[in-house]
Amino acid sequence: MARVGVFVCHCGENIAGTVDVAAVAKAALDMPGVVHAVDYKYMCSDPGQTLLKDAIKEKKLDGVVVAACSPRMHEPTFRRAAEEAGINPFLCEMANLREHCSWVHDKGAATTEKAIDLVRLQVEKVKRDRPLQPIRVPITKKALVLGGGIAGIQAALDIANSGNPVLLVEKSPSIGGHMSQLSETFPTLDCSQCILTPRMVEVARHPLITLYTYSELEKLDGFIGNFKATIRRKARKIDEKLCNGCGVCQQKCPVKKIPDEFNEGLSFRPAIYVPFPQAVPNKPVIDVKNCTYYKTGKCKACEKLCPTKAIRFDQEDIVEVHDVGAVVLATGFKTMPVGNFSEYGYGKLKDVIDGMKFERLASASGPTGGAIRRPSDGKEPQHVVFIACAGSRDRLKGVPYCSKVCCMYTAKHAMLYRHKVHGGQATVFYMDIRSAGKNYDEFVRRAIEEDGVKYVRGRVSRVYEEDGQLVVKGADTLLGAEPVEIRADMVVLATAVQAQNDAEELAQKLHVSYDPYKFFAEAHPKLRPVETNTAGVFLAGACQAPRDIPETVAQASGAAVKVAGLFSQPTLTREPIIAVVDRQPPPVFSSCVGCFLCKSACPYQAIEEEVIKNRNGDVLKVVAKVNPGLCQGCGTCVSTCRTKAIDLEGFSNEQVFAELMCI
Amino acid sequence: MEALQTKAKELLAAGTVQVAIGYGKGTGNARRPLFVTKPERAADLIVDAACTQNLATYLTKHEVRVMGRMAVVAVPSTLRSILQLAAEKQIREEQVLALAVIDGQVRELATFEAIEEAVATIPDAMSEADRNMIDKLSAMSVPERRAFWADELVRCVKCYACRASCPMCYCERCTTDVNRPQWIPVASHAVGNLEYHVMRAMHLAGRCVECGTCGKACPVGIPVHLLTIYAEDSVRRQFGQRGGASAKLDYAMSTFKPDDKEEFIR
Repeated sequence: MARVGVFVCHCGENIAGTVDVAAVAKAALDMPGVVHAVDYKYMCSDPGQTLLKDAIKEKKLDGVVVAACSPRMHEPTFRRAAEEAGINPFLCEMANLREHCSWVHDKGAATTEKAIDLVRLQVEKVKRDRPLQPIRVPITKKALVLGGGIAGIQAALDIANSGNPVLLVEKSPSIGGHMSQLSETFPTLDCSQCILTPRMVEVARHPLITLYTYSELEKLDGFIGNFKATIRRKARKIDEKLCNGCGVCQQKCPVKKIPDEFNEGLSFRPAIYVPFPQAVPNKPVIDVKNCTYYKTGKCKACEKLCPTKAIRFDQEDIVEVHDVGAVVLATGFKTMPVGNFSEYGYGKLKDVIDGMKFERLASASGPTGGAIRRPSDGKEPQHVVFIACAGSRDRLKGVPYCSKVCCMYTAKHAMLYRHKVHGGQATVFYMDIRSAGKNYDEFVRRAIEEDGVKYVRGRVSRVYEEDGQLVVKGADTLLGAEPVEIRADMVVLATAVQAQNDAEELAQKLHVSYDPYKFFAEAHPKLRPVETNTAGVFLAGACQAPRDIPETVAQASGAAVKVAGLFSQPTLTREPIIAVVDRQPPPVFSSCVGCFLCKSACPYQAIEEEVIKNRNGDVLKVVAKVNPGLCQGCGTCVSTCRTKAIDLEGFSNEQVFAELMCI
Repeated sequence: MEALQTKAKELLAAGTVQVAIGYGKGTGNARRPLFVTKPERAADLIVDAACTQNLATYLTKHEVRVMGRMAVVAVPSTLRSILQLAAEKQIREEQVLALAVIDGQVRELATFEAIEEAVATIPDAMSEADRNMIDKLSAMSVPERRAFWADELVRCVKCYACRASCPMCYCERCTTDVNRPQWIPVASHAVGNLEYHVMRAMHLAGRCVECGTCGKACPVGIPVHLLTIYAEDSVRRQFGQRGGASAKLDYAMSTFKPDDKEEFIR
């Protein structure tokens, strides 16, 4: 006969204020199998836990029900207490009297009645609990970092500095990401490249970091601690070992008119190119789409002139499989294409540019050497209008969320412009100024008060050209929505931050969930911000949501600590709440018929095929098997299985059935 | 009919198959399954309009399988059964050969690919009587429909003939037989009967080949096949997929596709 103890917690007034806890404890004593029931003010406190531990020992309890808060809150606490008292921790169950009862109902007899029912359910469950042992899984102590922007760089460096090898994979020819394109950074106006490039070099030189640029993840199999990553290393068409980065090929390449991606199309590059002079690695790639040789079969100028004979026109992509234990997703963002905002004339009016283009204009490494010159005629603009929220917070045509960085970089742009063009006038159209962050609001105030940037609160309705100038029409909502018309030489749109084009595809490859805007979803918005719902896959930077550099770096370090923490254990310990496939003695072996409809249902790829053979090696049966390292205990397979051959440890069919039948 | 007999005789004589599963003479005008293992007995095989039972049911039976490779006389729904069984890894290509009877012609289909091609050309198999019944039921209000089924299912004696006749009910242990916990009550009563038939329909949604054999097998004449056919029809409408269309079919009820038309699931 079961010996169950019931421990009813007041949770101060949280439960006791609504539920008659003494009545619950008294009613519990009448439930079959219950030999002990008490109520106490704070069961999670030290005296409360002692109450539980003493009762387990004195009354020889073989099952414990703690009727208190959510198991998410204190199940680990009480399970540990049960273990300390000498019983298996999985013989401790929680009835959630707080979130499921006292917080959501008014005081009254019915509420107490429900609390008693909730306890009754758990008593029936605990009687059918069996002792479970934690699962131990080996760990491959090597991390895969996807994305070589500042997030990926920081995560890779932190993981490597904790003594664990890292494979950093970047899809473009150089690491650096968006940050390498920026001019100065808010709120300190330090040069972006000056602070980034040392980190880039550190990545390249770190003995524990393997850097794969111009490479992409094809496939990720396996599970936490034991992933298999398939990586495609796209052919650069050069021998990286021989190339010394002299740059002769770039100078001699006859194709010169390809819009330069790094300079946002404001300048041109050849078909064999290094994205920017500080690129890491400083090795060129051949742009196969634009190279004359690949188009016509003739040219090979670079091959003839390369002093180290490093050009390899016949080089093929290499596909490699790497064992890794954890993955950090740091794939960053893209800015919203604003061609569909016809009112701003982007794409039609040459001097309407986006924020990234302005960064390149203002950057010392940019096409103008840092001088602000408008794209149409190269003249110095005397009046620049900055339009914030070009796409952000626009449910109709853009995205409903705030892109977070635009208010700050718009203030920075206006400030930089005022610094570079002394007589110039800068006007910012904005909805709200969102400048929460250390020294952020001070920065915006400085732009307004010291640098004389004019801020107009209102939306721009139209930008058009008249007499060689841009006319910006808007409204000043602080002056009673009075129409404003400004003649400007250049307009800069603070375009919305969006998820990368391939974010959805990548998320599906990694089985990571994502939000409606294709930003990767964290496991918990507050308490698990760098984890994903796939164990062993972590998030860093703007692939999760719009983020600025300080936040990105902080999050990347956070993700790195999660990886280092994971790698610091000799093996992985997991909760044994997993699905198991029924096994029986011969000749049945298992009630599983091997239809494998569970396999497609499993969101974690945890179902494998197990071949049961006799001693002669003849196949007797092929049945499903659950990989304990992968299974998250969601129970989807259990409900899919027609023959009920799969059951969930800790939440067995029998337990759930008993719970349902007792009320 | 002669063509079939000749074909079966050849296959058995050549040792291509060890057993031919077909229809033989039953009581009166009825037909019953016939297992022919000797070439000279192939002459007992019958094909006519009375041959409607889905013989695919026997393809998963251990007693039949141990005989060797099986040739099965296949009406259109039998072909779909073979493909669905293949998709669920219950049968391998080398274990079966279909002798398809389509529009009076006998065709030997030795590969799943050939069966898939044949199935693709076969139109919706639902009989007019069934179609009318489903239309009639669909037009009813929910209480009316509930009353209709309550009235029908109260006669169910839980003989499980529907389960035994179904080619897709090949599980070694049916949910009905699970007694820890006892999900489906053993006794025949209104609630338990409803639970059993709803469970059966749910288990066949996306897998039913609409042969109607279960309905014909019912000794008390409950049109149980309408439940599974309707479930299958719903899956087809929702997911655009037909059970038994291919040997590589993903189970519609448990498969996620990135291009799912429902936004919420992505």
